[in-house]
Amino acid sequence: MTEALELLSIPVIRHAFLGMLIAGATLSTLGVVIVSLHLMALRFTLMHVGLLGAAAGMSLGFSATAGAFVLVPTASVLMGTLGQRFRFTASSMTGFFMTGSLAGAFLLLARAGVPAMDVFGIFAGNILMLTRVDVVMVGVLGAVVVLAFVVGYREIQAVLLDRDLALALGVPVEAVIAGMFLLLGAAVAIALRLVGALLVDAIILLPGIAALRFARGFGSALLLSSLFGTIACVGGFVVALQFDLPIGASAAAVSSGLLGVSALVTRGKGRS
Amino acid sequence: MSSADLLNDLTVRPHPDDALCLQAVTAGYGSQPVFDRLSLQLQCGRIVGVLGPNGAGKTTLLRLVLGLLAPVSGTVAVLGRELRNDADRAWARLRIGYVPQIQSPTALPITVADSVLLGRWGRSFRFLKRPSREDREVVHETLALVGIAELAERDLATLSGGQRQRAALARALVRRPRLLLMDEPTTYLDREAQRELVHLIERLHQRLHITTLVVTHGLEAGWRFDRTVRLSGGGLDD
Repeated sequence: MTEALELLSIPVIRHAFLGMLIAGATLSTLGVVIVSLHLMALRFTLMHVGLLGAAAGMSLGFSATAGAFVLVPTASVLMGTLGQRFRFTASSMTGFFMTGSLAGAFLLLARAGVPAMDVFGIFAGNILMLTRVDVVMVGVLGAVVVLAFVVGYREIQAVLLDRDLALALGVPVEAVIAGMFLLLGAAVAIALRLVGALLVDAIILLPGIAALRFARGFGSALLLSSLFGTIACVGGFVVALQFDLPIGASAAAVSSGLLGVSALVTRGKGRS
Repeated sequence: MSSADLLNDLTVRPHPDDALCLQAVTAGYGSQPVFDRLSLQLQCGRIVGVLGPNGAGKTTLLRLVLGLLAPVSGTVAVLGRELRNDADRAWARLRIGYVPQIQSPTALPITVADSVLLGRWGRSFRFLKRPSREDREVVHETLALVGIAELAERDLATLSGGQRQRAALARALVRRPRLLLMDEPTTYLDREAQRELVHLIERLHQRLHITTLVVTHGLEAGWRFDRTVRLSGGGLDD
């Protein structure tokens, strides 16, 4: 215990711990929205767009996080708008953005001659490089996500239950969905920084899926998702320090393990 | 709130205006019109069936009345107010109860009571104004009215089709509607559940006098409407 507290007195470790704790407790709630709105393909596309953003940031001399933070939410809103304007199906839009982003990312990285270790950092995350500003960004986004669920609880619930019904009730469905896309985009960009593009689901998706297997209501789904996200991120952090492993991969492993256990416990009853 | 208070609250008083008036409405999606100069008047207090095969425009008609689809030409008026702009449409939606087609269970966990409570959205709560104790009492009494009070805390997805339609009906009723729109409410239900639901809807209509528009494939479920109209070929026959 004393050893752990001593470790937390080191700024790099403290920033990493706080980043994982806040992201696990707050951003994980978005998994409930992803599953309920069937946005699996969208979040996968946003991970690819995040790669492009990170590549653009590094190539242009900014930080990878800043690039992803600008590009991912922009793309998440653009996809909805362009899909409607050009009458693309959701699958076509995600295919277009996914392939285009990946191609753009590799071309940019090759052109700018970004070192291989930095490129690896985009894929696997580099949480020990988290600065105080990064932690504040995670905190602000986490607070916005919680606030969105508190303020728009019934509106989000109506949209997730049945979009047509929500429209008939007068709920501003498009605004709610655009808001969710925007938050999801920002969360993917942040998670990219924490655990890398390949492991974003450990924070954003798996806790939500596990929560939906137990929950009987929307509120309990959000709370359980937050709990599972916290366990995955903090648990992964502790395991990583204890056994000298990568933090992102450890959090992803704990998150996957949680989902596996929840699937076993709720087999035959789960909905996600 | 007691059951008697709720019934009193829900009962619609006679109203001089038509509940619904469509005049020479042309509407559709893209360049393809579903209706061509369709006219329909609905007196207050009636229960009317709109029959027609798939693609005849039954759901489009409901979308027009709900203000979710704007007519290319012609006018739509609800309870005497023409739907010209967003304010008119919002006004109408507050007075309309809508029972959508039965849905397969969603991934969202939601209790029956919470799903019914959503029917009060815009009526008594919205952004930054949360549901009150009275809202929850209305939900409880309305669930009792449709015969599923004991299912209030059950997950909606675990209900049978007939029970889910009763919950949908309760959600429409908690809005205290003047006009009730039902989109093929008995589809996918077995015969027994169809008969029970039709009986319940007719009983509630006799008691509450809410103008009710039911779109349906046919009359097999045992409907007894005050008036029946048939949609076909972009037009309407009484």
